[in-house]
Amino acid sequence: MSHDAGPSVIELADVTKVFKSGEVSVEALRGVSFAVEEREFVAIMGPSGSGKTTLLGILGCLDRPTEGSYELVGQEMSTLDETRRARVRGQRIGFVFQAYNLIPRTNAYKNVELPLVYAGVSRDERRSRVLEALASVGLAERAGHMPSQLSGGEQQRVGIARALVVEPSVILADEPTGNLDSASADEVLSILRRLNDEGATIVMVTHSSEVADHASRIIRFADGLVVADEPTERSRAAEPLGAVG
Amino acid sequence: MTTLLEHSRIALSSLRANWFRAALTALGVVIGVASLVAVTAVSAGAQKEVADSIRRLGGNVIKVDGEFITIGTRQSASDRTLTPQDIAALSQLPAVTAASPHQAIESIVVSAGRNQANTWLEGVTAIYSDVQNQSAVRGRLISDADVNFGRSVMVVGLDAEQRLFPGESALGKTVRVGSQEFEVIGIQARRGSLADENLDNRIFVPLPIVTRVLLGGANVVHVDLRVETEADIEPTIGAIEDVLREQHKLPDSYPDDFSAEDQASIIREAQRATTTFRVLTFSLGGIALLVGGIGIMNMMLVSVHERFREIGIRKSVGATPWKVQMQFLIEALFLSVLGGIAGVLAGIGATRMIGVFAGWQTIVSVPSLILAFSVSFAIGIFFGYYPARRAARLDPIAALRYE
Repeated sequence: MSHDAGPSVIELADVTKVFKSGEVSVEALRGVSFAVEEREFVAIMGPSGSGKTTLLGILGCLDRPTEGSYELVGQEMSTLDETRRARVRGQRIGFVFQAYNLIPRTNAYKNVELPLVYAGVSRDERRSRVLEALASVGLAERAGHMPSQLSGGEQQRVGIARALVVEPSVILADEPTGNLDSASADEVLSILRRLNDEGATIVMVTHSSEVADHASRIIRFADGLVVADEPTERSRAAEPLGAVG
Repeated sequence: MTTLLEHSRIALSSLRANWFRAALTALGVVIGVASLVAVTAVSAGAQKEVADSIRRLGGNVIKVDGEFITIGTRQSASDRTLTPQDIAALSQLPAVTAASPHQAIESIVVSAGRNQANTWLEGVTAIYSDVQNQSAVRGRLISDADVNFGRSVMVVGLDAEQRLFPGESALGKTVRVGSQEFEVIGIQARRGSLADENLDNRIFVPLPIVTRVLLGGANVVHVDLRVETEADIEPTIGAIEDVLREQHKLPDSYPDDFSAEDQASIIREAQRATTTFRVLTFSLGGIALLVGGIGIMNMMLVSVHERFREIGIRKSVGATPWKVQMQFLIEALFLSVLGGIAGVLAGIGATRMIGVFAGWQTIVSVPSLILAFSVSFAIGIFFGYYPARRAARLDPIAALRYE
């Protein structure tokens, strides 16, 4: 990884997160350090309660670490206020949620457009980027459909289009196939892989090793700590190609 | 500017999704604004009416009225206590420029051919028209000669004319009062109404006809005195009391068998009574607005709560706290301002209805509309702020997890 020019996309150093509720405090992350480089597809695995969702919250700038440092493309995130973090979320991070999280009664086009609206992108540019993003997940024809008129797989693809429309530094996916049947899940995963092949950096939380195998690297969590960090079969197969490219 | 437009679009679409609830919520503001508009219009109309009445009646007029008095268990026989001598004495007072005695029969049926009308018959002298700003549209008014010779002549108001001679002119025609016939010599120019009395339903005859012929005797109940300036009113009222007590030889222990009040103050007093009513209605409008505002706040709180997840999604795709706050604030503003617009329209409508059905004069003024509208705007900001702030401060993680 050290041969890559520029900073890592994600660089975590000794990140801890403590949740306090009254007298009880729970240590969800107990000193996590790792880096994610550009064009990586990282799966984060671990049993529930291992801290992987907490980690994703911190990576997504939805939450701040209690201690430690988190740099996103060389910029420290742990000290930013909520307004700045919101801007980072809107412009540098693309979220894909397990429950799709599309805004109801709002059509696919408008859902995908939303991050660009908040980012202050002009109307004309928004139009071309939204249509492009929808086309890349194969839903250009469904732009006018409401979430309720779309299948789960289609809704998740709209979610992916919304994540990639801002051309984020990293796409964070939280159990993206958790609510899908296997056919839709395969479709979603193949889209994520294709995006990764096209240059997107992806961090995906999952508890399924089948899903994780689509990634190029798996980081395993237990009790708020990284217990394993290794490349997958897919990565080893792809590496020579990456070296040539 | 683009973002404001975007916020408005977002706010409008979420209102549209819940349009029925939004409409109900806005209703409080509609009612509040409408009542403010209507009350303001009615009160402006009433104010103008009072000003008009004072102008029409002529300023600086003191009304002297005979009164019944009670001494011990005995009550005086009549309130027609003002004698011709009294009137002569009153007209001698220094500031008095005119003394107009008149005597009314407040409800009497008169007839013309087969038509009958219940009218107000007023016996007057020539000076009456001067003091009361009365003029004739056709013919002439009661003259000194009519009074001196006790002529059977009559001046009729326009409404009385219409009822006695529908569709034609009364001029030169005959009107019967009891067994006596009168020739109509003039038609009074329109005077409108004073308080609830229609001044155009009155008929006027020479004073002696009412006092001597119809009622008997020479005394009258009313004398209107005009003084030179407003400053003369107070001292003249004092002088009237001295003169009349002297004239009537009232012992010190007896109360006045007359009253003296200046005409404008009578009207202003009546106006004060309506002011109380206005303040009350105005406060009710204010309360409706307050309740409307609380309604908006309630709906916005519910709406924020229902949309925790949506707020979380918006935050996750880059909505800053400020932008979330703007969205909800604009939503509240839309509600209250749309309510305000509807309220202004409803208020104008209600004002028209009041004008038609109650017959009151109303004035819908542009400043009052702007005021009502601004108030609804302020309510949107005020009651929308807290829910919007709550939405803005929501923790994105908690909001996203919310089911």
